[in-house]
Amino acid sequence: MSFAELEHTADVRMEVRAPTLGELFSEAARALMHVMYGAPGAGRDMVFPLALEEEEIVPLMHAFLSEVLFISEVESVVITAARVEVQGGRLEGDLVGERYSPERHCCGQEVKGISLSGLDIVRDEGSYRLTVIFDV
Amino acid sequence: MHAGVKRTGPFEWEVPIGYIPGMRVPGKFYLSDALAGTLEEGALRQLANVATMPGVVQYSLAMPDIHWGYGFPIGGVAAFSMDGGVVSPGGVGFDINCGVRIFSTPLQEKDLDRRRELVERFFHAVPVGVGGKSRLRLSGRQLDDLMADGAAWAVREGFGTERDARFCEQGGRMPESNPAGVSEKARQRGFPQVGTLGSGNHFLEVQKVSEVYDPGAARVFGLAVGQVCVMIHCGSRGLGHQVCTDHLRVLEGATKKYGISLPDRQLACAPIGSAEGKAYFGAMAASANYAWANRQVIMHYARKVLEELYHVAYEEMPLVYDVAHNVAKFEEHTVNGKQMLLCVHRKGATRAFGPGSPDLPEAYAGTGQPVIIPGSMGTSSYLLRGTAEAMEKTFGSTCHGAGRVMSRSRAKKSLSGREVRETLAREGIIIKAPHDQAIADEAPEVYKPSGEVVRVVHEAGLSRLVARLEPLGVVKG
Repeated sequence: MSFAELEHTADVRMEVRAPTLGELFSEAARALMHVMYGAPGAGRDMVFPLALEEEEIVPLMHAFLSEVLFISEVESVVITAARVEVQGGRLEGDLVGERYSPERHCCGQEVKGISLSGLDIVRDEGSYRLTVIFDV
Repeated sequence: MHAGVKRTGPFEWEVPIGYIPGMRVPGKFYLSDALAGTLEEGALRQLANVATMPGVVQYSLAMPDIHWGYGFPIGGVAAFSMDGGVVSPGGVGFDINCGVRIFSTPLQEKDLDRRRELVERFFHAVPVGVGGKSRLRLSGRQLDDLMADGAAWAVREGFGTERDARFCEQGGRMPESNPAGVSEKARQRGFPQVGTLGSGNHFLEVQKVSEVYDPGAARVFGLAVGQVCVMIHCGSRGLGHQVCTDHLRVLEGATKKYGISLPDRQLACAPIGSAEGKAYFGAMAASANYAWANRQVIMHYARKVLEELYHVAYEEMPLVYDVAHNVAKFEEHTVNGKQMLLCVHRKGATRAFGPGSPDLPEAYAGTGQPVIIPGSMGTSSYLLRGTAEAMEKTFGSTCHGAGRVMSRSRAKKSLSGREVRETLAREGIIIKAPHDQAIADEAPEVYKPSGEVVRVVHEAGLSRLVARLEPLGVVKG
């Protein structure tokens, strides 16, 4: 796993690392699913095309994770990967995942939203590092 | 205590202007010596951040359950002038009108001879946890009506009595609701979740009144020692969460448009009278109404269980009161001897209007508003009443709960859900949750002692103790 939970009293603060921006977005989606369902899963039978545009990379991440949360909740899907290309403030590609099953995805908690507080992406030791707070 | 903070009373502390750049007013918080060690630097900084916002009046305040959140600290209260002030989702949170209600029953603890079955029945009657889906199938028109009328909508649909809506804060309905301003995405999230509890710290708890401190007020609230009550804690579900997400982005743009400088992006805001500010307020009020309807439907399910299992008549289970924890409201307050209309934000804080205040049921005019402070699964909850002092000091506000002291990541490492469940069972408290991890995340050890938190608000005069309630059985979301 390239994500880990950091200390935060009220909510869930995660650190995500990846060598490329595309992989950072994919791992961020998996980190969100990990919190919501206990395990991100591996199935890829459901596909959701996605295109987003923002002025900068940080608001793009916020919009992306908010979209992953929305799709997961209304489509009853656990997103297992994001096959996306990120250039500047543009993201294009698709989300893939598996149907939510109460038995297999039993051990998480609802995420209410993605906080802008403490949301940051930095280039660090040859990789990208995201810190993000999920309101639970 | 942290450097730079001044003690101004036995339970009052001040964060002076200059603690961080740009503060327009001082910060003020309420804490005892016993709780002082629980205050995180991050929460203090968030309290100071709120003091930099345009139009903030008198103080950026925090209650003794203050802890590190996002935007405002949890336990944060701030009032903004209608002239030059702002409205911000950072002062409300994602779970708009997360709140708590309590209803009483004529049952005594000794009557609960099938307590485990009772908790199991509650668990099956109320959809809980991730993926918990509503039993209702609403049309778009019905959802609009629900967002317009709140608790009264649920009562009209057969989920309660006319009295219930009157015994909610603000009658269970914010009149500023604008359902047309709620996005399609928010509606999609809201349709399948009416009457669902959610997860995290949301719960339905069977309790007994174990101690009465103010017999007169307890009598007015309809409570006596030994009586069984049911407490429900939840909010506006995905609809409210999405409204916050939608408007956060809009208000971030508005922050730039109106030239507002902020130390935290989650404090994104707009002038109260601006198009962006009005749009957020109308959608937030619609979400608040959704939350009141949601708690009303859940209470109905719980009453039906008690009706079936113990043959308690529906009308013998009156709602004591329902309070909001996460909301912004237009309220009149006296500031420096002058009556002012203000936009009061409470994020993890409870309204605590004193005797004679507007918007109280007639029966509570002499006592002040009931204030419901939930404990954690193994610790006591408290019923208090609002005071005139709270009106003077905190815009009629008090604490909302015990307040976390341990992160979920530490809770996972140091506590086992199964052990917590078994320990509480030995104390006679039955816990039912979708999975044991949910129990570890919300174990009594992760919270400040609720008794000390309510002692502070009692001693500081922000609300007065009426009764203590002990948990008997808990359904965790």
